[in-house]
Amino acid sequence: MPDKTVIVRIKRRQRPDEPARWEEFELRYRPHMNVITCLRDIAERPVTRDGRESSPASYEANCLEEVCGACAMLINGEPRQACSALVDNLEQPICLEPLSKFPLVRDLVVDRSKMFEDLKRTHCWIPIDGTYDLGEGPRMSPATQETGYPLARCMSCGNCLEICPKVNEHTQFVGAAIISQVRLFNMHPTGKLHSAERLEALMGPGGIQDCDNSQNCVKVCPKGIPLTESIAAMNGQVIRHALKTWFTGHD
Amino acid sequence: MASAVGVTRTSFFLDKLQSLSGIVPIGAYLAEHFFENSYALVSPDKYNYIASKLETVPWRIPLEFLLIWLPILFHGCYGLYIWWNGKANAIGHPWMTNWLYVLQRWTGIIVFAFIGYHVWTVRFLSHGKTTYADIAHAMANPWIVAIYAIGILAASFHLGNGLWNFSCKWGFAVTPESQRAAGWFGACVAIVFAVIGLAIIAGFRFHWTPFDTYL
Repeated sequence: MPDKTVIVRIKRRQRPDEPARWEEFELRYRPHMNVITCLRDIAERPVTRDGRESSPASYEANCLEEVCGACAMLINGEPRQACSALVDNLEQPICLEPLSKFPLVRDLVVDRSKMFEDLKRTHCWIPIDGTYDLGEGPRMSPATQETGYPLARCMSCGNCLEICPKVNEHTQFVGAAIISQVRLFNMHPTGKLHSAERLEALMGPGGIQDCDNSQNCVKVCPKGIPLTESIAAMNGQVIRHALKTWFTGHD
Repeated sequence: MASAVGVTRTSFFLDKLQSLSGIVPIGAYLAEHFFENSYALVSPDKYNYIASKLETVPWRIPLEFLLIWLPILFHGCYGLYIWWNGKANAIGHPWMTNWLYVLQRWTGIIVFAFIGYHVWTVRFLSHGKTTYADIAHAMANPWIVAIYAIGILAASFHLGNGLWNFSCKWGFAVTPESQRAAGWFGACVAIVFAVIGLAIIAGFRFHWTPFDTYL
């Protein structure tokens, strides 16, 4: 082994139902390494520190520049993106675990389709197609654009769900990312047309009421999205909508 | 427009009611309760006079039931359910707000247990008639002083932190600046309640009546 090495411990499972085992790898250090380069080096030569032949650890990665959200995992216990986790800034051994709040697929790969299902359930898109040309939408004010842009950076990585005490097997809580997306789409001049549908979905089981304000989400968001601000803003919208529809009905 | 048909709002309604009930009527009652008990700091006679006035309000039992017992039972029991629904992780992620989340739960159960003891001893065992002498006698026991001090500190924290939670959960404080201001407001409320509560204990324990000059 060369003078300077990197030690990586990985929590591994071939199948979700099998017990987890830890494997430790020692890699040759190179400047500017990140966790993805470590995983690639392991895939190239999957031999553990004690000389045992192993297999490449499964992981998801795509953009390698912190915009796709795919490589979220627990790195030394913190949910974050592997691509932007630089080895120079990490304590060793670097412990890699899959996110714990999503169903495991294999090794570091989890199934985050819950988030996609919740985005669909809360109508987090803007319908622009019809049976006829709907024409141009209304203009969006620069102030709204400025508020909306940070929210639009969400990449559904799931870190905010992972760190939330209220996302667990007892609840169906949609989590901060989805609530913030509802805010974004309700802010859009065309998206506003469907705001009632989104707000009602957020009032359903696992809706915004499950948030208990631990404010962990905003601390782990790799995109710096003001998630707690979004949750409070949506709490206001949802409560006003609930009171209005209960007292005076739909428009 | 799609309506809420098929989507149950029960948990939304109960969660928001739990949050609101902590402020009104429970928080408001706590303010009233601390204020009325502060008459102990004026004089034992004044305290007994106010106590007997409160003990003889018309519709006492329905009022106690609707404004005090029922809201506290709901807030406490549903609060335990909310606690069970959460998995705290403040040990590994010791951010301040994460600890506040944990403390809100622990102070909640401490206060719930304390209220059970408090109501049982000075409301039911005394058949709704407690005098200055009764409380002063109880406060001669240092263990009871300790129980009351813990109960008061936990209730003060729970209310102050609850005000901050409430301002976020009802969408009153949205921006980080307003949430921080709401947090400081809650902290001030907690400190004021803690000081007044502890002063009342001291009044009973040491027969201390700093406001007797008002007489």
